[in-house]
Amino acid sequence: MPQALIDIRRCRALSVLVGLLLTFVGPLAAAADEDEASVWLERLGPALNMTSYRGVFVYARGESVHSMQIAHRYSDGVVEERLVLQDGGSGEIVRKGMNVVCVLPETGRVQLDQVIPSGPFAEAFTSQLMPVNRWYRAEMKGEDRVAGYDVVSLALTAKDPYRYSHRLWLEKSTGLLVKSHVRNADGEVLEQFQFTSLHIGEDIPDSEFEIRTQGREISRTLDEPTPAASVVQRMNGWQLGWRPEGFMPAAAPRSGKGRAVAFSDGLAAFSVFVEPAGPVTMPTGASKIGATTVYMHQVKEGDNAFLVTVVGELPPQTARQVAESVRIKDSLALGGGES
Amino acid sequence: MDDRLRETLSAMMDDEADELSVRRLLSHDSQDEVRAQWQRWQDVRDLMHDGHSPAHGMDVSVAVRELLDGRGSAPARPDPAVQDSKAGRWHWPAAAMVAMALLVGFGAGAGWDSSGAGPVQPVTAAAPETSVQNQPIREIALQGLDEEQWEYMSRYLLEHAQHNSVGAGRGAVGYARLVSANGVGY
Repeated sequence: MPQALIDIRRCRALSVLVGLLLTFVGPLAAAADEDEASVWLERLGPALNMTSYRGVFVYARGESVHSMQIAHRYSDGVVEERLVLQDGGSGEIVRKGMNVVCVLPETGRVQLDQVIPSGPFAEAFTSQLMPVNRWYRAEMKGEDRVAGYDVVSLALTAKDPYRYSHRLWLEKSTGLLVKSHVRNADGEVLEQFQFTSLHIGEDIPDSEFEIRTQGREISRTLDEPTPAASVVQRMNGWQLGWRPEGFMPAAAPRSGKGRAVAFSDGLAAFSVFVEPAGPVTMPTGASKIGATTVYMHQVKEGDNAFLVTVVGELPPQTARQVAESVRIKDSLALGGGES
Repeated sequence: MDDRLRETLSAMMDDEADELSVRRLLSHDSQDEVRAQWQRWQDVRDLMHDGHSPAHGMDVSVAVRELLDGRGSAPARPDPAVQDSKAGRWHWPAAAMVAMALLVGFGAGAGWDSSGAGPVQPVTAAAPETSVQNQPIREIALQGLDEEQWEYMSRYLLEHAQHNSVGAGRGAVGYARLVSANGVGY
């Protein structure tokens, strides 16, 4: 560290401080831009939940494009939401407060009871303001029109190579997110989300929130937010040696035998899974699906092998660094000796 | 390089290093590292004073050593007032301020390497060796996975999408990821 700049004498530190302050005066315009962007970012979370809207959006990542119909209502502090798949197999997700019901396509090869959370769950980031500006350079990108609404656009450019950059389009009067891009360092769009039709602020009848698809229903109630201590508990038996600065542990569902911990920097999130290696042998390396990277590798601890998986909206290098920093501390706590 | 050497360097920049410390610094094994650190601090100081670095690419160690050995003209000034503990106290503010200065963008990037070493470090202080970042990564094509492997992987994808949808409060985007994760294998 360059102590020399400040060193021992406070007067020098003071003069440097004054110098720094002066340099702040220069880019005042840029600072005002950042301020405006932060105001919009603060609206983002609440707007997603506390606005009533319905419409159709498309979501594209990698080679897949999906279209979904959504109705979202906020009344008396309760969020009601219904999403209906518009392509592929038929399916829908209905949420009322903390109660979620999923009807998903039979063609899906995944057992959903494994993934619908049965444990503690938290709306971690809507209630918690993350200092996004520390990890991203926020910039206003002017006005535009999306799905018939006037929007403002803001760019959040990653300040380090450990995360992707984001571009968000927010509806002007409500702050609702109506379009988003995730880009890599080369400016290539990896994932995009956009409303193609949208109605904000209408009264949506109760009938819009009823399940209509026939099929296997999976219903779960989401529990109250988890205190931070439980994150430590879920990391029992292993430790993360490194993660990019700014990624804080977030509450995550406890499901299956997975020891999952989620981290978020306010925009991007990744999950780390550490499990005893099963009968299925997984290759070591990274897979990319749009902006989502899956990095898997095996760790040997004594006689037991563990599969470490990092999934998140992260560049593959970062995912690997996170995965390789996992240290198994106690294989018994991870159920390593059971199988 | 340990903290004591850094402090000596620091004191040297202010003409306040004592002879013993400077000798220790000059006999340090990795002279390249010492020189690089010296260079960076000079650069930072010059940036802060909006000047050019006269010390750029200059190796003063020979001159300093000569000075210490009595071959030079001016005697080195021993200074017992240099105390280890005090310098440490400014550790964080210094790092934070340099990082801040860089982020505001004054002279950013001028004169130092972009490998993430040096004053830029505070931003990514927790990073392991930068070489890891540059190593090529083995890519796994999803199409190459067999049914069981795909099922394994999609379970992780789905769980992560769950974290996103409700946990991260991303609403529709998170759900879209979830459905998309379920649908990749069609």
